[in-house]
Amino acid sequence: MSFEWPWQYNFPPFFTLQPNVDTRQKQLAAWCSLALSYCRHHKLYTLGIMEVQECPVFNHKNIDRKLSTEAILIVFEELRKKGNLEWLDKNKTQCLVMWRRPEEWGKLIYQWVSRSAMVNSCNTFPPEFHGLEEWMLIRSLQALQTDGKAEVITMDDGKGVKFF
Amino acid sequence: MHRRGVGAGAIAKKKLAEAKYKERGTVLAEDQIVQMSKQLETFKSNLEEFASKHKQEIRKSSQFRVQFQEMCATIGVDPLASGKGFWSEMLGVGDFYYELGVQIIEVCLALKHRNGGLITLDELHHRVLKGRGKFAQDVSQDDLVRAIKKLKVMGNGFGMIPVGGSYLVQSVPAELNMDHTVVLQLAEKKGYVSVSEIRESLKWERERACHVLDHLLKEGLAWLDSQASGEPQYWLPALFSELTSLLSISDGGK
Repeated sequence: MSFEWPWQYNFPPFFTLQPNVDTRQKQLAAWCSLALSYCRHHKLYTLGIMEVQECPVFNHKNIDRKLSTEAILIVFEELRKKGNLEWLDKNKTQCLVMWRRPEEWGKLIYQWVSRSAMVNSCNTFPPEFHGLEEWMLIRSLQALQTDGKAEVITMDDGKGVKFF
Repeated sequence: MHRRGVGAGAIAKKKLAEAKYKERGTVLAEDQIVQMSKQLETFKSNLEEFASKHKQEIRKSSQFRVQFQEMCATIGVDPLASGKGFWSEMLGVGDFYYELGVQIIEVCLALKHRNGGLITLDELHHRVLKGRGKFAQDVSQDDLVRAIKKLKVMGNGFGMIPVGGSYLVQSVPAELNMDHTVVLQLAEKKGYVSVSEIRESLKWERERACHVLDHLLKEGLAWLDSQASGEPQYWLPALFSELTSLLSISDGGK
């Protein structure tokens, strides 16, 4: 399934940080939504600020408009505030993108585990978990742990999880 | 000397005569009333017949509605003048436009965050039709214009700005004066406008042009594009044709 661009993507001013405060709020909300859906669609979990500038999301060649680095950082800051992004370094060159937050993943995992436990069959990860990177999995399990729904156990040969 | 009619007896007589005339007058009036009420009965039943015959048509056919409205205008009747009363209750004319008005408000509210409360009549028409579904009655742009005029009278912040042969429908009480309107009309051609274009076409001073554009930005009706070649452009989401062409794609048409 091909990615569906929102109407704003073809609207040239979308790539200019709006001077009007209310309009800017709407604009940033739309950018956050677009960035997250794009990452979800392409199963992207980490982004480097250099590559991101050339990414079609922020650089729309067809209409000759691109979001400035300053604006990209503002969008990323919004995402960080919402819990969807985390910087990996102080210089803000690399970041983790959580288009699904750990809590949301945790919920999905818990549901899957409950289902599989009842069915008692051979368990393979369903499609929604494909591409889930380990750091994300661990965070999700930690979120479940905080919620009292799971426990991460360290064993000799690695980690294990117990679900309640 | 004898004066006629003077004297207690004459006065009494006169009073009696007057009383009789009055009674007569009353009797005559009553007569008229009975006649009138008979006429009214006939009139009423004729109208009821008309109503039942044509109520369906009023709801279904926009052409019939136009002709009906024109007929009413000729005899000096405005079927939409009052919410209650014969026209709206009997014929359902008021109902039709009232419901349409509600629909229009819904569409405008739903899109306000996007276009700041300004929408082309075309897009409004398209969305109203879409909202009514496959089996819905035919709604024309004439219907929309009438319904909007009614909304305007009710003080809903509605207004219509003539642009490029059609209208921009304003659904928020943003203050738009002649200067703003004229710039909107200029922007209609391409969906955007710049300071130079305004100065060239309207022969305004730079400050006047900037003042208007700032106002449009402030009201959320325009967005700034600073990456356009030459000078900044001011785009109106309401006029963004890509948006409306996206509408037709999503309908699975063409």
